[in-house]
Amino acid sequence: MRTQSKELKDFLKGMGFLSPWVIGFVLFTAIPIGLSLYYSFCDYSLLQPPAYIGWANYRELFHDPIFWKTVRNTFLYAIVALPAGMFIALGVAILLNVKMRGQTIYRTIVFLPSLVPAVASAMLWLWLFNAKLGLINLALRKIGISEPPLWLADATWAMPALILMSFWGVGNTVIIYLAGLQDVPKELYEAADLDGAGAFQKVWHVTLPSISPVIFFNLVMGIIGTLQVFGTPYIMTGGGPARSTYFYTMYLYDNAFTYLRMGYASAMAWVQLLVVIALTALAAWTSKHWVHYQGK
Amino acid sequence: MRVLRIALIILLIGPGLGLLFFGPRDTAELPRDRVIVDYWEKWTGNEETQMRSIVNAFNDTVGKEKGIFVRYLSTSSVNQKTLIATAAGVPPDIAGIWDPNVPQFAAMDALEPLDGLAEAHGITAGTYKPVHWKACHYDGKLYALISTPYDVALHYNKSLFAAKSTELRAAGLDPDRPPNTIAELDAYAKVLDTLNPDGSIQVAGYLPLEPGWYATYTPFWFGGSWWDDENKRFTFTDPKVVRSFEWIQSYYRRLGQSAMSEFRSGTGNFDSPQNPFMAETLAMEQQGTFLANYIHNTKPSMDGRWAAAAFPSDDPALTDVTYCTADVLVIPRGAKHVNEAFEFIAYVNRQDVMERLCSMHCKTSPLANVSAKFMNEHANPYIAVFERLAASPNAHGTPPVPILPQVGEELGNFFQRLSSLEITPAEELPLMQARLQKKYDEFIKRQNNRKKPADEMPGQSLEN
Repeated sequence: MRTQSKELKDFLKGMGFLSPWVIGFVLFTAIPIGLSLYYSFCDYSLLQPPAYIGWANYRELFHDPIFWKTVRNTFLYAIVALPAGMFIALGVAILLNVKMRGQTIYRTIVFLPSLVPAVASAMLWLWLFNAKLGLINLALRKIGISEPPLWLADATWAMPALILMSFWGVGNTVIIYLAGLQDVPKELYEAADLDGAGAFQKVWHVTLPSISPVIFFNLVMGIIGTLQVFGTPYIMTGGGPARSTYFYTMYLYDNAFTYLRMGYASAMAWVQLLVVIALTALAAWTSKHWVHYQGK
Repeated sequence: MRVLRIALIILLIGPGLGLLFFGPRDTAELPRDRVIVDYWEKWTGNEETQMRSIVNAFNDTVGKEKGIFVRYLSTSSVNQKTLIATAAGVPPDIAGIWDPNVPQFAAMDALEPLDGLAEAHGITAGTYKPVHWKACHYDGKLYALISTPYDVALHYNKSLFAAKSTELRAAGLDPDRPPNTIAELDAYAKVLDTLNPDGSIQVAGYLPLEPGWYATYTPFWFGGSWWDDENKRFTFTDPKVVRSFEWIQSYYRRLGQSAMSEFRSGTGNFDSPQNPFMAETLAMEQQGTFLANYIHNTKPSMDGRWAAAAFPSDDPALTDVTYCTADVLVIPRGAKHVNEAFEFIAYVNRQDVMERLCSMHCKTSPLANVSAKFMNEHANPYIAVFERLAASPNAHGTPPVPILPQVGEELGNFFQRLSSLEITPAEELPLMQARLQKKYDEFIKRQNNRKKPADEMPGQSLEN
């Protein structure tokens, strides 16, 4: 009896400590998610009560050319920026994992840009990409390119510019790779040495399989992150020129807060969520072929 | 263990209690015996200080007498925040938004109509210049009153004109006066352009998209408009509208898209010394009344070396054409103190108060009557030009389109493609007209579905 009462007391105490998070989660996450699903089937301007309209928002989405433009832009960004960013981060992490003098300084230098606030980075890169006064075009002119790209002022170059800029923030991913690399058993490298493996073969046959769970984690986080890109293009290009950098989340935001089409924006949010879930599930499904966990 | 537990509790509770007793406090002392009117306004910096002085003067005089205290809160993205607060049922009593917001807000029932209150305070159509009175209305109802308005004119650099006087005269142009027609403006611009050997622009005579804030309204100077308010139709295919946008594109064709983009990327913010007009790399610019203030504060050495005149029209017979816009005061729907809020709005609309505020902001007055003191003591030496333009029958406001944000997005995209020579106005404008008309019709249909049949939106009644 006494044990039961103690268990109940401990349970209530535990719930008490948990309650701020539970209340916050229910009020500010679970209920809004549920409501947004309902609103996605409504015509809702915020100022009038939501009116149920069935699948009309979803049907309209599929006939909206701007929706498709933002889908294309977002996928283009994700398809290029995500694998390239992961490749660069892995390469840098492997280099930073090599024992050498000043290793911690190099690691700090690589990680530092990730600490710069997004708005500050955006302002910095705005100047770097400036067609007339930017350091990038100054360097390009110095090496003989007399008419360098106009970058953010040119619809052809604005997207590549944003993709290039995304590599600036690979520091976080590098740190995660580094942690994974330090967990690779030394014996595997020794065995590879005995087998006569070269540097590339050791990376291909030992390092990559050993850190495959970390690669998988970065892939999933990358899919989620790149499909929701918003802040940097919102500040740097506003979606232009000619909607060349108008991303899905920016259009969602405009529908919600500029045009006050909350129902339509909610439908967009749910389509986005379903796509993210589908791609994450696809990555998880393929992972059984290429992700190796120790002890399995 | 017990000590650790107590220490942990103190650590958790201590900061909370500390914040409660010694944390931040509302700095404003609010009088308990007065109705507090919350006023959200976009302005910061000097403009905020100047509006605050008006608020303080109200609180010390009319407010004191009538038991009202206005509390000013500087709010970024004030239009969006006002809408969201209104939707949540906790709007401010007064919001300082822009007149182009009025149709969207009014169409969505986010504003209190002010007709009765204005009439009771003696504010009628005769109080305002016609263009401003019209801008405060939507669907025949008054939803806003003005705080500060301005209109746009051609600003030109007299020194740059003088430096090229020989060339201007050789081209048959008078360097001592501004251009009077669009054709003349083009001719002046060509002569005033100074290009580097590689074709890049050193000094531009005129660039239609620098700063381009009013490019959307260019058709007014060609005798056209892209909105037919009577029939609630977009008229982007009107030949005058097409011609006006072709004129904008002609500059990109003449100077080269690359040179134009490169020149523009070398310019700084509007209020910085890198503004090309203030940096004296742009000889002529279309800008508002307030530019005088920025020139004086940012580059006083330019004082006296620039002038303002009516922006030229395509047709010489079309004189004193301008675009007028304004900061407006509105009472959001559901505001708690509507009558008290209007007392403040009416105070701002008193001629002496309005002229004081507009002088401080270096803007025109929206009122029909303007005092000699206002004209003589105004910081803009060309205030007479701007006042004449605002009172002109050819003064135009923002078309009262409730989907203006969508129109703005479409036009922004249109101008970017126009400037990259990707499209021509003749091929793109019919498509844009069709897209926007569809959006407008759908908006009206949605609004009508949301309302009772008796309250149908203007212009049309669409079947479900």
